[in-house]
Amino acid sequence: MEFPAALFPSYFSTGPPREEGGPAPAAGWGEHGQVLDGGPGRHQAQPAFVPRRSGMGERWEPADAAAVPVLPPSAGCWIPSPAPQDILCRSGLCRKLRAGKSGATLDFTRQLGHFFVDHPEDAFGSLGRLLHKNFYLGNSKLKRPARNSTIRMTALVEDIDRLEARRGCPRQHLASRLRWFSHLCRDWLFEVPLGLLADCLHEELMLQWSNLLFDDSLTGGALAWLPPGDGGTHLGCLVHPGGPAMNLLYFQDMVLEELPRARGSPAQFELSGRVRQVAAARVDGEDFVGVRSDYHCGVWRVPGRTGAAPTPLQVIRTDVPASCLTVSPHLPGELSICTQSGTVYLWSVETGLQQLRHDPQTMFFRDHSPWRWSDFTAHPRVLSCADRTGLQCLDARAPKRCHFDLFKVGEEASCQQGERVVLPMYLGRAHPSQYLVTTQFSVYLLDERLPLVPVLKWAHMMKAPPLFAHLMPGDPGRSQKVLLGASRTQELLLLQYRGKRWSSRGGSQSACQLAGTPQKLHSIAGCLQHLPTQLPHRHHLLQQRLRAPAAGLAAALQEDRLHESMLVFQLSEAGDVFCQRLTHEAAQPPAPASRDEVPSPAAALRYRRWLRALSRGCKELPRHTWPPSLSQRRLFTRRELEGPAGPSALQRQMRQRLRQAMREGGRIQRWEPWALQPPPLPKTLEPAGGPDPLSARLTAAWSGDWEQWWEERTSFSVAQRQRALRERRRRQKRARGRRSLSASFTSSLTYQSELSELSDAGLPLLSPGRPRILSQERSPPAGSPPARSPPTSPAPDEALLSSQSLRCRGIPKERRKTLRDYLSVWAEGPPEPPEPPGSQASQLCIPSSQSQLSSASQPRRKRPRMGF
Amino acid sequence: SSHEHKLNFKKSKEVCLSYIQDAMLQKQWQRAAEFLTCYVESLEKDYSREHIGPSEMIWRIGSEILWHHSHSSMKEFNCFIEQMKTLGVKRYLKVCLEHVFHLLCNGQIDEAYQNLSLAESWRFGEQTAIQDKEMKLIQAYRGLLDYYSWSKQKNILLEHGKCVDGFADLSVEQEMHSCFRKAAVNLKEIIKIPGVWDLFVKCYVDLLEFYGDHNEAHQVLNEYAYNSKFPANPNAHVYLYQFLKRQGESKKSLISALKILHDIVPSHELMIDFSTMLQKSKKRKKRRLGLEVIFAALDYAGWKENVKAWSCLARQVKQIVISEKHLDWIKQEWDSRKDWWPAFHFSRYLAKRNWQENKSLSYEKALVAGILLGKDCKYFRYVSHQGCKAQVKRFRMLKKFMNRHNPVHLRISG
Repeated sequence: MEFPAALFPSYFSTGPPREEGGPAPAAGWGEHGQVLDGGPGRHQAQPAFVPRRSGMGERWEPADAAAVPVLPPSAGCWIPSPAPQDILCRSGLCRKLRAGKSGATLDFTRQLGHFFVDHPEDAFGSLGRLLHKNFYLGNSKLKRPARNSTIRMTALVEDIDRLEARRGCPRQHLASRLRWFSHLCRDWLFEVPLGLLADCLHEELMLQWSNLLFDDSLTGGALAWLPPGDGGTHLGCLVHPGGPAMNLLYFQDMVLEELPRARGSPAQFELSGRVRQVAAARVDGEDFVGVRSDYHCGVWRVPGRTGAAPTPLQVIRTDVPASCLTVSPHLPGELSICTQSGTVYLWSVETGLQQLRHDPQTMFFRDHSPWRWSDFTAHPRVLSCADRTGLQCLDARAPKRCHFDLFKVGEEASCQQGERVVLPMYLGRAHPSQYLVTTQFSVYLLDERLPLVPVLKWAHMMKAPPLFAHLMPGDPGRSQKVLLGASRTQELLLLQYRGKRWSSRGGSQSACQLAGTPQKLHSIAGCLQHLPTQLPHRHHLLQQRLRAPAAGLAAALQEDRLHESMLVFQLSEAGDVFCQRLTHEAAQPPAPASRDEVPSPAAALRYRRWLRALSRGCKELPRHTWPPSLSQRRLFTRRELEGPAGPSALQRQMRQRLRQAMREGGRIQRWEPWALQPPPLPKTLEPAGGPDPLSARLTAAWSGDWEQWWEERTSFSVAQRQRALRERRRRQKRARGRRSLSASFTSSLTYQSELSELSDAGLPLLSPGRPRILSQERSPPAGSPPARSPPTSPAPDEALLSSQSLRCRGIPKERRKTLRDYLSVWAEGPPEPPEPPGSQASQLCIPSSQSQLSSASQPRRKRPRMGF
Repeated sequence: SSHEHKLNFKKSKEVCLSYIQDAMLQKQWQRAAEFLTCYVESLEKDYSREHIGPSEMIWRIGSEILWHHSHSSMKEFNCFIEQMKTLGVKRYLKVCLEHVFHLLCNGQIDEAYQNLSLAESWRFGEQTAIQDKEMKLIQAYRGLLDYYSWSKQKNILLEHGKCVDGFADLSVEQEMHSCFRKAAVNLKEIIKIPGVWDLFVKCYVDLLEFYGDHNEAHQVLNEYAYNSKFPANPNAHVYLYQFLKRQGESKKSLISALKILHDIVPSHELMIDFSTMLQKSKKRKKRRLGLEVIFAALDYAGWKENVKAWSCLARQVKQIVISEKHLDWIKQEWDSRKDWWPAFHFSRYLAKRNWQENKSLSYEKALVAGILLGKDCKYFRYVSHQGCKAQVKRFRMLKKFMNRHNPVHLRISG
């Protein structure tokens, strides 16, 4: 192959990179780089200069508004991988800490706690069983003989709960009881020594976190397109993973039309691990497909004939996770594998594995990443191998002796500090000696005949490092097209470059030029706005699914009649394959940009079908979205659930006085009990031995006839309210004549006292003859319908949860929140209608009727509130 | 508070930039331009310490937009760039250089020359290493433009040389010499620094050769090719080889130049010439090397379907077979290739395709395959069968030749 007669000028120096690094938002724009005399042999005329970055590229216009699903969503529900908020500290304290230091704070204690709760057997199995008899969790005091061998743990558990309630509180003091307990048993209680367990957990957390920041196991992408054979049919094959664990490998025949369409059912293979990478190459008319999972690599052969079934050829197992698998474009059944231990193998289906290199160290300078990559070069016996610091080429016939450096992160390629190799790719189909290397900042085009000096460099400005790349070679005279894809951000970028000058005299090799501006293509997430409107929670789930990190990239060029189009497939981690079509516009005036407003009818149909299939596939909710179920037995001891024995005599007296004063609209000037002249007790005050409202209600609810209870209660309260209203009017008249305290003051006072009374004594539910003071407050405004809205009930419910009442029940402060949360969990069942502002009555309206229960379409309010 | 305001300002700057970026990546130049006018405000409070500051971003984004915007003109672009030059001292030379590139690509050589001269005279305190490099490039490009005007005048002179017009020639000649001096000084400077200077080296050597300074030219090319501080640029060796050839140097020096090129780039297109040259040599060692060179070239995927290369190999192999001397040379070359060449070059699929696409290629390859693998190999069988069916004479001859020399392959593979 010809080497360009002259290259673009550039400086060459060696050593570590000097330029300070960092993502630069606009670094790729506005530069020609260098220029070169592009007009050979024309001495008379002026020299014609060509830039390294030229403005002239092919025009490829997106044919539709967004990417369109090509395959039905994979069956079974997708479990999203952990998100940053799952493993990072969430409390305000941690955030404050993080603001000070750079970097994130991993929530270690929460995860360790999760481990203890989720795997108690693994954490405490044997000692737990041994100590089973010696730990007592009840409330009663231990009797003499038992006390010798048993300790009461209840207080300890309470302490722990208290600690939990105060999590994140800056004034958190460790209870001394907990301290001595942990001091005593830290060394022997745990099945796995705590230090070791913590180390392992920490390591795992760090691993998860680094995977979240940058997951290189996906490098190369798990999607491959096998183009139609020599016959020129419109039938290609898409190789992609699927299933909930992404461990099913599919070979799906696709018909290339306006929008590609699946033909027939796919050939399916179940693998024993998550598919990380699918690589393919065509040799002698046959496709060889390499599939990499962490510990297994396999190779399939797909014969060139259309409709021929893929046959698995060989599988190998590795002890260390493999990080790379590439298929030779030169020889059938040859692949190269790298493992994270730094070993590079040439794998031939016929002769087996040949180890080319084993070096746990990186090549040019020290880098901690165990990632390795390897690919083929123009010479079928020479392989490139890469780590984060650069690329070397090895001769498989004498790997120790014959090697040369192809790319170095350093001044040779004018790299930036901190720049690392992300994905190398052999561009053999475009030019036998060209290579693509992407880093997090730039893309480099290399020619193995001129190692170390990139023939092209461009800052790609992508937000996430490009883990996937796909080459579409152009015909002579046309530009070569390279697609770059990022995983987390789903970015897709189309670049064009040109390595051949095309003139009337024929093509000759010229120095590589970047052609035209790079172009951003649609991402999967971009189609969300074009999908039919969903219910909010569905919308959220859909959004989560469509925003799943990309896992692969493939593309096909298609020519029919006059049109030339490019089909770009993108795979997401959820297993969805989306496609977009770009059409080539040869020398046309800039088209109006109005076309990308609405999807075409065909695309809209695809969206609807896909959505329908998705909702059908995910009918049964995954476990983690079930409403949490709690066992109430763990929450309260019996004693806590028992109401207090009753107010003390003094309390009773005080309350009486207060009530009387209020009834008379008078004042209490001195609280001393001895100055009290006890008025006659009103006989209606104490409940006639009935259960307190909470117990009554819980009993009713659990026995299933809660509705009836509610009906009784509301009908009772309507009558009661009317009576109370009358009573109040009468009393107000009387009070106006005697004292001049404002009515509002009176009423607020009444309310407060009523609350405490309610919580202490409870509502005498079945004594309608009694006058109710509370009802005065809660009477509906004049115009509201009296029958359907039962306005009295929320007050006792709120009252049940008020701090006073909880305190009176002997429930410690820390547990009150738990109780509220607990009750609010049950409250989540029936949704509450949105609050119309200004209307007191309807705000307090409790959804008791069936019609309200069934109106599930209304958005739920998250505020914990007791709703039944 | 003012702190919050600062943060918000920073945030809105970032948002604005991302809008611009988005528009540009979708080729919506008008939209990008509108956002850029807002982004210009970011110059107001430029507290950034990032290595690309707002002024540089505006320069980059603005130039890109003006390149592509359908309503922009060269005049507007020049005006914009002049403003950008005053915006940042650190980037002045870089902006100048890019401006010159743009002018050159649009054929405005004279304006480019003026800009280069202007930039060359720019001084601002102490220069950083990068500025030093940029200044050298500016000088080099000025030298290059001087070279082009020299060559223009040279051509005028050569044409005029035919007719007799002494007076006019003298002034042109003087101007030409002054161009030579200016060009030579600047070009000489840049090619001393390690780098890829193909264009500059070619021009400088052309100048030197014209004035008969062959020693200097030879030295420059030697330095460019063999100085280990320079990258292993195949063109450096090619230029040296072409120079030696022009100078009529001995075969020996030509071969030694190409031998080094062979060592660094075995797949270079000159390798066919090299192999042919070696084959004609009387020395056995050189003929041996010739075989090695052509085998090595055909190892590369780029040569797979090159008829010239295959016929070169076929010729050499055939010669050896006919003479029945040095069959061990073929054997040695074949030993390291016999496990992968059959699949790489001589598969049945390739036989079919080569036959369909290029008959002479399949002829040459069939000859080599027949000798190396015997007449029973897939490639030879398919091609000779097709050739005989199509009644092409040379394929029948080939079959006959192979029948006569069939035992050869046993000696090679054995």
